[in-house]
Amino acid sequence: MTSTIERADTGSRTGPPALTLRGVAKTFGHGSEAVTALRGIDLHVEPGEFVCLLGASGCGKSTLLNLVAGLDEPTAGDVTLGTARPSFMFQEAALLPWLTARRNVELPLQLAGLGRRERRQRADELLSLVRLKDQGDKRPHELSGGMRQRVSLARALAATTATTPQRATGGGFGRRSPGQDWEAENRPGMLLMDEPFAALDAITRDVLQGELLRVWEATGITILFVTHDVREAIRLAERVVLLSSRPGTVVREWRVGDGPITLHDEITGRLRQVITSHAA
Amino acid sequence: MRHDPTPLRPADDIMTTPEADAVLEDAAAAVAGLDALDTPTTTTRPRWRRAMATGLPLFVAMLLFLAVWQLVWASAITDEFKLPAPADVWHSFAKIVDDGQVWSILWTSISRAFLGFAIALIIATPLGLLVAKVRPVRAAIGPLLQGLQSLPSVAWVPAAVLWFGLTDATIYFVVLAGSIPSIANGLVSGIDQIPPILPRVGQVLGARGLTSARHILLPAALPGYLAGCKQGWAFSWRSLMAAEIIAAGPLLGFGLGAYLKQGSDFNDMPTVIAAIFLILVVGIGIELLVFRPVERRVLRARGLAGA
Repeated sequence: MTSTIERADTGSRTGPPALTLRGVAKTFGHGSEAVTALRGIDLHVEPGEFVCLLGASGCGKSTLLNLVAGLDEPTAGDVTLGTARPSFMFQEAALLPWLTARRNVELPLQLAGLGRRERRQRADELLSLVRLKDQGDKRPHELSGGMRQRVSLARALAATTATTPQRATGGGFGRRSPGQDWEAENRPGMLLMDEPFAALDAITRDVLQGELLRVWEATGITILFVTHDVREAIRLAERVVLLSSRPGTVVREWRVGDGPITLHDEITGRLRQVITSHAA
Repeated sequence: MRHDPTPLRPADDIMTTPEADAVLEDAAAAVAGLDALDTPTTTTRPRWRRAMATGLPLFVAMLLFLAVWQLVWASAITDEFKLPAPADVWHSFAKIVDDGQVWSILWTSISRAFLGFAIALIIATPLGLLVAKVRPVRAAIGPLLQGLQSLPSVAWVPAAVLWFGLTDATIYFVVLAGSIPSIANGLVSGIDQIPPILPRVGQVLGARGLTSARHILLPAALPGYLAGCKQGWAFSWRSLMAAEIIAAGPLLGFGLGAYLKQGSDFNDMPTVIAAIFLILVVGIGIELLVFRPVERRVLRARGLAGA
């Protein structure tokens, strides 16, 4: 199954960039022990853009996501966010096993201080967005891996929009009252995805990639997606950014929409070069 | 266009052309099919069969035990005053039931054990949290706490008697000394066993400090904590009996331990054995009636092993 959802016209994107990294570097440790994970990273992500970071092991992908999420501080350079607080999706669904699917989605809303009814309604909307409307009362262990990862997606969506209270709009998602300045009131947030589908079987992964694109279309959210699967990067992203390893730097970028048919081979070729340069 | 401010449209009206509709329906069907195929199936045995499977062997074992006991007694290998007949023990038990004394004995001991256990919970829970989360505290008293767990709490009895005399304070001190280390250590190991991804998830979802403890840390540590509580109860019951047997006095009331001690003082073997059985039955009974159901519920909600 391939996605037939049209890429949004990137020219129409307005507003400040969702994310700007300027000369970002990250070094762990001191002196001779120091390990440079990232060096001189410049990256701009437009609001609503879907960007894949591609790289082999040791390219500092996770470090980069941590910096964007504010879980870690860069050693040099700066990270500027133009969206609501970004939220994370991991390789494992990492649902809280003692909560039902719905309560898992509600948790970030609860932590953001939303009322019981409001957060329940929002959680139900998000669950139906990921086609789990009737599974809200199940516990994580009663769901399949793919379903869990979709609950995790719904939870991440809840987390990234939780910081902008919905009270003014009556709690409705997408039911915007006319004349309201939505962009200012409720900027769609940003999802940081750290190989979210890597632990799934091939069939489920394929279906979930399609689902993620659909959700991306429906929410207008910005996505920064880390993978080491070239095929996945090309299928999902509008822009693919290839990172080198140890330290991680930006090697090249491709815009997927206007790339040549042989884009897959080209990217794979460059990735291979990056990897072989570490052979010695 | 995506950038029109329509953040969440229902899944089915993103595209409007018939072909696009077909594709979306196809996707929806694929997801639904996959969900149906991949959802874990659970089989539940009927309740009565579970009860049979656990209850029957126990019943048979007890019957066998009684039969062997009766047989050994009938063969008169040892003196009567060392090994009374099962029926004599039963009579001894029936006597305190008949004159109603059994209820005051049980109440004295069980209320003490529960009060002691409750105080132990209140002290051990924050203590466990501190040891688990504050590194210097852990280094300072973690090993001590573990060591105390292997110290038989009966060792505290003589000291407690000298400190507090033959009062309830002695009893409670021994009970607390027995159960606090177990509960605190249970919480510590419960917290240590939390998968590292969960606190991280809490962090990215916006949980900090105390909120994180309430929403992530404590619920995640609950199975280990409950195991600690269960063990803490056993220790508190054990310590209480030790204290009641050793420290007897007019101020101390007449509990199960004192009942046993009295039987022993009067060379009344049936009473001694009846008391031992009662102590055993109460200990097991509280575990089965209170702790097992709670633990079962918690573990089952998380899909953990055959609970």
